[in-house]
Amino acid sequence: MSSSLLLQQVLNGLAIGSVYAIFALGYTLIFSILRIINFTHGAIFTLGAYATYALTGARFGFNGLLANAALPLHLPFVLALIGGALFAAVSGVIVERLAFRPLRTRGSDPLLTLVSSLGVAVALVNVIQYLFGAEAYSYPADPFGQLPSAMNFGTSTEPVLVRTVQVIIFGVSMVVLALLTVLMNATRTGKALRAVAEDTVTASLLGINTDRLILLTFVISGFLGGVSGTLIGLSVGIAGPYFGIAFGLKGLAVIVLGGLGDIPGAVVGGLLIGLAESFVPAQYIAYREAVPFALLFVVLLLRPQGLLGRAVVQKV
Amino acid sequence: MPAFLAAYDFLLVSMVLAAVLALSLYLPLMAGQLSLASPGFYALGGYIAAIISTKVFPPAAGLYPVPLVLLEMAVAAVASGVLGVIVGVPALRLRGIFLALATIAFVEILRVISLNLDVTGGAIGIFGVPQPFASQIHYMSLAIPLLVLCMLFAARLERSRTGRALVALREDELAADAMGVNPTRYKVLAFTVGAMIAGVVGALSAHFINTWNSRQGTFDTGVSLMAFVLIGGSRTFVGPVVGGLVLTALPEALRGIADVGGLPGWLAQFLRDGRLIIFGVMIALGTVFFPHGLITPALLERLGRGRRHRVEAA
Repeated sequence: MSSSLLLQQVLNGLAIGSVYAIFALGYTLIFSILRIINFTHGAIFTLGAYATYALTGARFGFNGLLANAALPLHLPFVLALIGGALFAAVSGVIVERLAFRPLRTRGSDPLLTLVSSLGVAVALVNVIQYLFGAEAYSYPADPFGQLPSAMNFGTSTEPVLVRTVQVIIFGVSMVVLALLTVLMNATRTGKALRAVAEDTVTASLLGINTDRLILLTFVISGFLGGVSGTLIGLSVGIAGPYFGIAFGLKGLAVIVLGGLGDIPGAVVGGLLIGLAESFVPAQYIAYREAVPFALLFVVLLLRPQGLLGRAVVQKV
Repeated sequence: MPAFLAAYDFLLVSMVLAAVLALSLYLPLMAGQLSLASPGFYALGGYIAAIISTKVFPPAAGLYPVPLVLLEMAVAAVASGVLGVIVGVPALRLRGIFLALATIAFVEILRVISLNLDVTGGAIGIFGVPQPFASQIHYMSLAIPLLVLCMLFAARLERSRTGRALVALREDELAADAMGVNPTRYKVLAFTVGAMIAGVVGALSAHFINTWNSRQGTFDTGVSLMAFVLIGGSRTFVGPVVGGLVLTALPEALRGIADVGGLPGWLAQFLRDGRLIIFGVMIALGTVFFPHGLITPALLERLGRGRRHRVEAA
């Protein structure tokens, strides 16, 4: 492998890996606080992608209840992206109220919560399918104006071409990641969130309103899910309502790799899985979809606490 | 009655097969292990039957011999059992969410492999799996005995030492371990038997639906099976059986209601196409209001006592 090809693979891997990272942060934030896996995250991802599509004023297809519907506004893509993510954030809150809070107040088994969130995910995805049909959509061409289709990160004699979309995706993910890092580490709210993650009961004894923070966690998580939905839609198109479920399953591999509930771990895990996927040799490219799951399986067996996690000692 | 059987033959057989498949997910759950691996073994069993019947035994005129179907089911059971032990021994050291995640990964890995191998027909799959019966309703002659066998097994299991060990693990693994129940051994046992059942159902299903591809036995199947068990009831084997039968029939029943007429158009439309929405909402509501499912051991006991009273009165 020549060095320019190597660099190209690394850049592609980082671009897709950065989306894995922010998507997985949505899972891991909720896990760090509630110790549950929110299976609706994949459905929220789909919702974000569809909401962005609708906000650009694009028209829906022939199938579904809202065939040929279109919003009467044409937002610029950046605003549509933010709007779609906000829509996803609101959906996250609704999901929290419907699927998680009733079980939490009853002190149910975490496995039941997992099942409940699966149920809500199936319902959400199928509501989308019911309304808009199962066809694939793609965002308007040139959403950011006239940009070249690829950028050269090498020299003119040894070009390292990376699709402009990949560069944008990487940029947006990094901005989101930076905002989240500031929120978690440099604000009172972030401190409170970390306290709740460490120990919910103690945090509430110290006067932290845990219910409000749990709600906030779902807002952030939904926002992250929505942004990643739009970014992946930008890169490969929206392949129907179920594309979020498939992506959601891959996200599980990311959080397990990084350690459940571990925030830096989710970022490292996301980038690693993105890189691992982009380094699958061309003749085995068909097996690329299995790479995250193979990693997930191996990590669970060898190091269930994840790459960066600490082992949990079970107390009797 | 014959007209009814002819009209709903596909549905009736599907219901019975779904009930058996639900039992395969129920067995590990008896030991408190939420495993979503059943669809993987179901897919494996289906491929085994499809490959044996289309590639090993050359297609001949007339019906495919039933003994060969039984042979395929046996091969599927053995293969699923072996794979079940290989996957189960390391995976069942994991608990709760981790096991669920590992089994989801297992199913996805199998799906991608089957999508890319030549022997499984790649993305197209295997077409024209030969038919052992002249009419679909005759599949009942294999499906019903299979269901009865699995139910008898589960009923016996629940009253045996092994069954009590599984329940002890579900209620408190540490305490059970301290009392001398070997957690890994019993969990792998339940997981492997569940895997074998799923493999057998897959083998029969490949003939029944005539074709087999990588869309059979995926994560979605796992969600449906989970709905069968959790809505039906996860504390007695009757729950998954009833859940599998009723919830498989539900879409047809809803369509029937929609066709009766007199309903507003949007509602009829929703009853026809909104099956999975209703499914998802039922799963979510069920976990809140019926955490152990609709059919519980207490309910069965009440029903049993009621019947005994009537017998005594008569």
